[in-house]
Amino acid sequence: MPISPDRLERVLNPKVIAVVGDKKASGYMWLNALKTFSGNLYSIQVDEKEIEGIAALGVPNFASLTQIPEPVDYVLCAVPRKIAPFIVKDCIAAKVGGVTLFTSGFAETGEDEGLALQDQIGALARDADLLLIGPNCMGIHNPGLGVRFHRDQPHGRSGNVGFISQSGTHGMHFSLVGATRGIYCSKLVSFGNGIILEAADYLDYLANDDATEIIGMYIEGARDGRRFVQALRAAAARKPVVIWKGGQTDAGSTAAQSHTASLASNKAVWDAIVRQAGAISVAGLDELVDVVHALQRTKPGRGNRVGLMAMTGGQSVALADSFAREGWQVPRFADATYAQLAEFFNVIGGSYQNPLDMAGTIMQDASTLDRLFDLMEADPNVDAVAMEISATFAAQRWEKNPQELETLIGSLRRFQERSDKPFVAALHPSYVEQAALNARDQLQAAGLPVFPSFERAANALAKSVALDPALHPARQSSGRKSPGRQSPGPNG
Amino acid sequence: MSDSVATIIAEARGAGRSLLSEVEAKAALGAAGVPVTTTRLATSPAQATAIAAELGYPVVLKVVSDTITHKSDIGGVELNLADAAAVEAAYARIQVAVEAAAGAAAFGGVSVQPLAAPGVEVIMGMTQDPQFGPVLMFGLGGVLVEVLKDVAFRVVPLEPHDAAEMIREIKGFPVLEGYRGADPADLAALESILLSLSAFATAHPEVQELDLNPILARADGATAVDARIVLTPA
Repeated sequence: MPISPDRLERVLNPKVIAVVGDKKASGYMWLNALKTFSGNLYSIQVDEKEIEGIAALGVPNFASLTQIPEPVDYVLCAVPRKIAPFIVKDCIAAKVGGVTLFTSGFAETGEDEGLALQDQIGALARDADLLLIGPNCMGIHNPGLGVRFHRDQPHGRSGNVGFISQSGTHGMHFSLVGATRGIYCSKLVSFGNGIILEAADYLDYLANDDATEIIGMYIEGARDGRRFVQALRAAAARKPVVIWKGGQTDAGSTAAQSHTASLASNKAVWDAIVRQAGAISVAGLDELVDVVHALQRTKPGRGNRVGLMAMTGGQSVALADSFAREGWQVPRFADATYAQLAEFFNVIGGSYQNPLDMAGTIMQDASTLDRLFDLMEADPNVDAVAMEISATFAAQRWEKNPQELETLIGSLRRFQERSDKPFVAALHPSYVEQAALNARDQLQAAGLPVFPSFERAANALAKSVALDPALHPARQSSGRKSPGRQSPGPNG
Repeated sequence: MSDSVATIIAEARGAGRSLLSEVEAKAALGAAGVPVTTTRLATSPAQATAIAAELGYPVVLKVVSDTITHKSDIGGVELNLADAAAVEAAYARIQVAVEAAAGAAAFGGVSVQPLAAPGVEVIMGMTQDPQFGPVLMFGLGGVLVEVLKDVAFRVVPLEPHDAAEMIREIKGFPVLEGYRGADPADLAALESILLSLSAFATAHPEVQELDLNPILARADGATAVDARIVLTPA
């Protein structure tokens, strides 16, 4: 039964939150993470030994949800599993907007008591039409409202990525690692066992949520597979959906009497679903973050021919190989481009096939970088542009003269703004990791897409611009709007 | 069309079988708009030659059996039979070979069908995924499917662009485009079969698994020359 988006809207954008069962042994992790919550926060705890610590945090405590003097939009329940059914009943009595059961020890244990308790809770919630998230999950993160489940998650700013995760850890890592790459969530839900609200419900919501321009997800399985496929197709037709499917196996049906059944492994079928929906498949957290980063910061795709800008001969070869492996063509530039390059390009220790081997040119005169970008913009053989930024060469110079990095960023920003061609920068940390990280943060703060290796830049750009249009017609033709560039923020 | 398919399925179920014979499977798929070689059951050499004369020579004979899975492995298939004498001799050889390999009860007669015009061997199939329902497969067929596993899947129902994409997704696609001067295969015909199978799977949830292997893809169409249908447990 699909859930009305209005009801999820209330839960995911709460004004009043109650935490049930937080305790000292966990460092009052929930109340501490929710210190940044912009609305009213309450605690429910009946253990006298715990109440003192809760009072010290300045959070009003009550003995029961029904005693809270205002309607509660969102409940976080962290009680032991045997108590959980009683709290679910309280949630129903108090008519709360929804509840997350952090509590675990249910169907995921495979043992009878856990299964029975999950069935009991599911029946209670279904009968009362209670929006239940989980159990065995971390619940919601809404950074704009300061709703968090980890004390290092961002707050005070909202992003454009809606994230759905069957795993609490992967959801948490997306929000934490994403923030280092300038990625912030509109809403994030860790939904665990998903006995009431499941992936399709959150997909339906995020597909229609104006604050969400990109959807990311980690999923292991779908309870109602056909409904999931419908929800995924509908969502991917409206905005980019990036999926990390965990737990893939290559084994087909062992009872198969046909070739088809023996080859229809879980992995094969999931790959088909993702392709068919026009969503983007990724294999892990790094790739997920990379592709979202590229979707946020690059222009939509135009074709598969890339112009490459490297700093040395060896890196020219490595850059070209990395992009070729991801399906890019590295074409000859147009004759007009070569004619103009001949006027100013320093070929001593450099060359200008494609890639441009350009250190000798731009390190002598930084203004030549703008001219090179002009040529990339004008060249009809070039659909996208990728550039190496060499920390090995530049770290010491940036340290002595920070203006040099700012000048570089200025050139990149000007190109990014005036060109409709997707552009990415690759900044390998090399042996100067800290300097490279600082430079990355500055580049990111300027809104530039920057990746820690050629391979990751090539892959993220390929996946974000749907390099293989034969496999992603929906992403080319559905009229899906390209995601807005995220405004630069404190973390870049 | 669906009525005749439902009748075929009901008759097999009534006989306690979950595996349709080639003759039944082709009749069901033919009724669903899938081009198949006309295939009839013969339970005597005389009947086989009569059918062959009607369909036109050369013909192919295959054993009909409830128990044998890989017909050609045990001498249960005879190709390119040019006249009545060849059909009678082939009927006898198949019966002897099958009875020797699998016992007298395994021999249920032969299917008779015209020898199809040559083409690139492709496979299409359907299976019920426990989570997502029917999924379709496309790939290069014949024995290559088992070795290379160069196949693409889509979940039913397919849109026309899904059919077009899954054909182009396999690594072996250049073979269908007319590799080394060969005529390109009729891709529209292959796409049309995939869409017919999608509709067939939607209309008949009692079909658990289905293989069309091979389908011969020619420049002027495509024809399934073997078909296997497994029903869900009754």
